[in-house]
Amino acid sequence: MATILPTRQATAEVAASAAGRDARQGEFCATPHGNANITGPERGVTAPSARPGTGHVLLRQHLAGYAFFLPFLVVFLVAIVAPLAYAVYLSLFQDRMIGGTVFVGLANYARAIGDAVFGTGLLRVALFLAVQVPIMLGLALFCALAIDSGRLRWPRLFRITIFMPYAVPAVVAALMWGYMYGDQFGLTGQIGRALGLDLPDLMSRSWMLAAIGNMVTWEFVGYNMILLYAALRAVPGELYEAAEVDGAGAVRIAWSIKLPALRPALLVATIFSIIGSFQLFNEPNILQKLAPAVVTTGYTPNMYAYNLAFNGQQINYSAAIAVVLGLVTVVVAYTVQLATARRERAL
Amino acid sequence: MKTIATRRGALTAGVAAALSLALAACGGGGDGATDGTGSGAAAPGASAAAQDALSKPAELTFWTWVAGIEKTVDKFQQKYPNIKVKVVNAGQSADQYTKLQTVMKAGTGAPDVAQIEYFALPQFALSKQVVNLAEHGADKVKDRFSPSAWGQVSINGGVFGIPQDTGPMAMFYRKDIFDKLDLKPPATWAEFVETARKVKKAEPDTFMASIDPGDAGGVDSMIWQAGGVPFKSTGATDVSVTLATDPGVKRWVDTWTPLLTEKLVDVQPGWTDEWWKSMESGKYATWLAGAWAPSPLTSSIPKSKGKWAVAPMPQYDAAAPANSENGGSSVAVTTQSKNIPAAVAFAEWLNSDPEAVRSLNTEVGLFPATRTLLDDQAWRGTAFDYFDGQQANEVLSAASSAVRTDWQYLPFQVYANSIFKDTVGQAIDGGDLAAGLKTWQDRITAFGNEQGFTVTNG
Repeated sequence: MATILPTRQATAEVAASAAGRDARQGEFCATPHGNANITGPERGVTAPSARPGTGHVLLRQHLAGYAFFLPFLVVFLVAIVAPLAYAVYLSLFQDRMIGGTVFVGLANYARAIGDAVFGTGLLRVALFLAVQVPIMLGLALFCALAIDSGRLRWPRLFRITIFMPYAVPAVVAALMWGYMYGDQFGLTGQIGRALGLDLPDLMSRSWMLAAIGNMVTWEFVGYNMILLYAALRAVPGELYEAAEVDGAGAVRIAWSIKLPALRPALLVATIFSIIGSFQLFNEPNILQKLAPAVVTTGYTPNMYAYNLAFNGQQINYSAAIAVVLGLVTVVVAYTVQLATARRERAL
Repeated sequence: MKTIATRRGALTAGVAAALSLALAACGGGGDGATDGTGSGAAAPGASAAAQDALSKPAELTFWTWVAGIEKTVDKFQQKYPNIKVKVVNAGQSADQYTKLQTVMKAGTGAPDVAQIEYFALPQFALSKQVVNLAEHGADKVKDRFSPSAWGQVSINGGVFGIPQDTGPMAMFYRKDIFDKLDLKPPATWAEFVETARKVKKAEPDTFMASIDPGDAGGVDSMIWQAGGVPFKSTGATDVSVTLATDPGVKRWVDTWTPLLTEKLVDVQPGWTDEWWKSMESGKYATWLAGAWAPSPLTSSIPKSKGKWAVAPMPQYDAAAPANSENGGSSVAVTTQSKNIPAAVAFAEWLNSDPEAVRSLNTEVGLFPATRTLLDDQAWRGTAFDYFDGQQANEVLSAASSAVRTDWQYLPFQVYANSIFKDTVGQAIDGGDLAAGLKTWQDRITAFGNEQGFTVTNG
């Protein structure tokens, strides 16, 4: 069930290491479940075998290699492969209140593909992805370039302030924004009254997705900014010196040196944002209590899977939904990565 | 999952304290029509098996989310020190049911005793996750409870829980607003709609009531009061869902459609900060709620003290008053319990011993399910400070007696209620109620058939 309950913290850990190492080298290989460094252990094993030596030593070295590899392998199998395999296994059955559990093969998948509630939810998060992610990454890019420009008075204060919302748990953030969006006694209502304006109800059907987008942007601009800023710090100083010698100004340097250097990090940020968008859950789930008629049980695919499993006892169908959602995410993320790579080769 | 009983569970101990002050006057004497004083070694009238079980050492785990219930459980411990009861809060309502269902399926880890709301009880009874208490002598305590409470734990010929609290519907109204506009509390639904129009005309920013598009329980209760029986189950697998055709449902639709289209009621999720502020500011002239409402009113908007009063529910037929329940819980024994006799004895004592039920009412703040209190003259005559001295229990006791006992919940009501906001909730928020109810019926029917039931719509 690992795919049902997303935690952005999990991807964050991967992000931290990815941003530091792989982003610079441009070797990053992401899968939707965050196991970014599959190539790591292999390198460790193949390097010694390249060296000449007796079979005995070779074996010992192999064993040592596997011994180092083992802890990762155990965690990888237990924490990532097993839950995924179990979700797939579950998705092949149907557990009925009357009649118990029966094997149904791919019937749950057939149903998921034709499920209008699931389809609407997918389209909704796709729309969210198309609008919110560019805005968020644009803001994050602007902030990262601003800090890196060295022209801010208190860059650290700026950096920590923008980053702070990321440290606020999503649930708390959703509650806080829920209060601010209130059109009667909330901040929106108070501002509207003070200005004598009839502000729209931000938690109405037409505004809800934008309201959630605003919350998510607030939460994750700082995180993406750090990701991009880390990549900027890794640009060798000689490049700037060379550019200055060539007579490039600040804008030209940003355009011709910083942006190309940021491309791998931007790709990472985009892929994480794609995953985050498809797994949208906390924010709408909290706001549901404030706008039950707007945020329905299938508002996002993840909410749908959650409600099926925990209110409807349809754990098997829920697992199928989760697997399909995972596959859709893989396809979209991989397409984006592939398209970027192709463009890079073309350049 | 937002049910009324869930919300009530969030009560603070402060309310209970406030109530206990108000009710202290009747704490001592006046047992009236009750069948015992509860000071004996075991509750009089308890089954022999129960009395025997109470004397043997046992350990029980009790899942409940009722705040402050430890006070009543402590009284049990003092009386029966051999039995150790561990009170665990495993989450509210749907959260707890999810956990309970999981541990029952796992075969280990379930509590001996668990709080289960009436609407969820058929689900647990059907899947044989809770014990049929009739097989353990529970019929002996039947007469201690109001018929409506006992009716809600009686499923398919068995008894699957001991009623703990109930919520007969009543109309709580803002006396200050009614007095100012020179209006009388409506006795019928026709008058309710008329009064709503007058309120709107005199005070455009005031609504007759609010309705929560996510609260299935509230609409269930109003349909129940209108005489509807849209959910029926016969035997273990046959279910009928008639939301689209039931005459009682239609009565509710015909009354609430003008209320919604003329914007006489405000579509607003309940129990949020905004909603409570609206309740306090006088935006809503009435609150149609269960008899548990005095507790949350007292604790959430104490400043409105003296402005509220309580009246019976508006009627469809004034000559034949009918009422319904909203919320309320039972205490059930799980089939996984290793000490079923002791668990049954505890559940019976907790909810039927005179000392225990007084404690649940005054110290915990629950509205009773027992005749011990509902028929007690002194209890009924208690003056409520919050209602400006009104003897609210008199109205609420009568409300309990008028409850229709033919209502049934689905054996999968938890899921049905969870998709209410996707269907009827959409209609409440600006649509056609009948169409919303039809969609709800369709989705319930599809789910039921998928789960192996035979669901009909006739």
